[in-house]
Amino acid sequence: MKKIILIFTLSLAVAAIAIISSSCTAQREIAAQKSGAELWAQNCIRCHNIPSPPSYTDVQWETIGLHMRERANMTSGQIKKIVAFLQTAN
Amino acid sequence: MRRIFITVIGLFLLGNSIVAQDSKPGKTQFMVRGYGHAGLDYYKTPDGKDISFVGAAFSPIFLFKQGNRFMFETELEFELQKNELEIGLEYANLMYVINKYLMVRAGKFLLPFGTFMERLHPAWINRLSTKPLGFGHDGISPASDIGIEFRGAAPIGGTHINYSVYVTNGPRLKDGSEEPDEAGMLNFQNYIDNNNNKFVGARIGYLPLYNSSLELGLSFYTGKVGDQGSVYEDVRAFLWAADFSFVKQISPIKGILDIKAQYNQTNVSDAYYPVVEEARDSANLFTFNNLSRAYYAQLSYRPSMAGKTFLKNLEIIGRYSKLKTPEGSNWGSDVSELTFGLNYWISWRQVIKINYAFINSEGGPDAEEGPQTQKSNSLFVHWAIGL
Repeated sequence: MKKIILIFTLSLAVAAIAIISSSCTAQREIAAQKSGAELWAQNCIRCHNIPSPPSYTDVQWETIGLHMRERANMTSGQIKKIVAFLQTAN
Repeated sequence: MRRIFITVIGLFLLGNSIVAQDSKPGKTQFMVRGYGHAGLDYYKTPDGKDISFVGAAFSPIFLFKQGNRFMFETELEFELQKNELEIGLEYANLMYVINKYLMVRAGKFLLPFGTFMERLHPAWINRLSTKPLGFGHDGISPASDIGIEFRGAAPIGGTHINYSVYVTNGPRLKDGSEEPDEAGMLNFQNYIDNNNNKFVGARIGYLPLYNSSLELGLSFYTGKVGDQGSVYEDVRAFLWAADFSFVKQISPIKGILDIKAQYNQTNVSDAYYPVVEEARDSANLFTFNNLSRAYYAQLSYRPSMAGKTFLKNLEIIGRYSKLKTPEGSNWGSDVSELTFGLNYWISWRQVIKINYAFINSEGGPDAEEGPQTQKSNSLFVHWAIGL
């Protein structure tokens, strides 16, 4: 039980740092204005190479988008922008 | 066996034909993805040398999407093991998007215990041909389980946080009655619950930089592991992991720097197990501090901004990994591995990997007459493809 409390305490500490560090308005605005292309370049590469847009059709990108939202734990806003970019660039 | 294979091939062709004919897609979408690999392995140990072609491994992933919120996904594993075709169910789960910040999964799913097994283990994603020591189906930490999970992600200002909480059947304690040499180990491939106690786990990840290049994560997984009604029914396990990832294209070094690391620890509470030769004789029991650790740190560099295409497609990798299982157990060992690799990326999802590993091991199930140190080297040449 002590270990669970320790882990949760550490998790709360991480969350607290997140909230404090995100209080920078400039950083928040930059993040909100990111395009689908930027998000595609910055997020897919966290696990694997950046996928080439022509690799799949529009419909397939939608399916992959939902799969990757879950697998990579991305936000709905991020995945919508990425899929929209891939559907225009393929 | 043949029927299963034909069924899989049929589904694969069906998925592709549906996509090919789809001029006006409906709400139901079906897709087959996955990965496969093949290669050559060379092992040099004190007992001799062994060289063999390996692989013919195929892992199809089937995605069934209904509307924008619901998906069923499953991954099968086909692999030749000792002249037999082995088929495994890596995962099979339903997933539903509850809202912008939360989704639910139920079934058999890859556990977000750290990131390696959930995100990085597929052959076309893993930069090296092997998994780090202690990671994988025979590792000291879980890869998948059956249960229910709530997960999601949210922006916090310019940064992001992701989270996951889940309840599963959990692993089973090997009490030595079936395999005396493995008394005290956890069997993570035990999908039928052996007690009424459920395992609880969670992971929280934080991406503190606005470009998402850095992710820090903490995970835990805990519950009872002993068979109900046995003397081990109150034995508990507590596992935790910390993971780190930094991936970024950096102009001054003209390429992509990728650093990944994960530390796993498994602690099983004290219990007494029968001595191997005297199984089930209560007068001959032994115990030990059942603590196992495994970790890896990996660095790779790809000169993606180089002028020549050939150079752009190259990648160099180095990884150190270590596995330490309990001293005093029949399976205690201390193994470390240093692996270097040179990859050539044929496309974004197809790679040829040439890896060389130096392995030092001490102890293990065969070390009944005291610690034995072994040094071995391995060479792997693998070709992997994402589908």
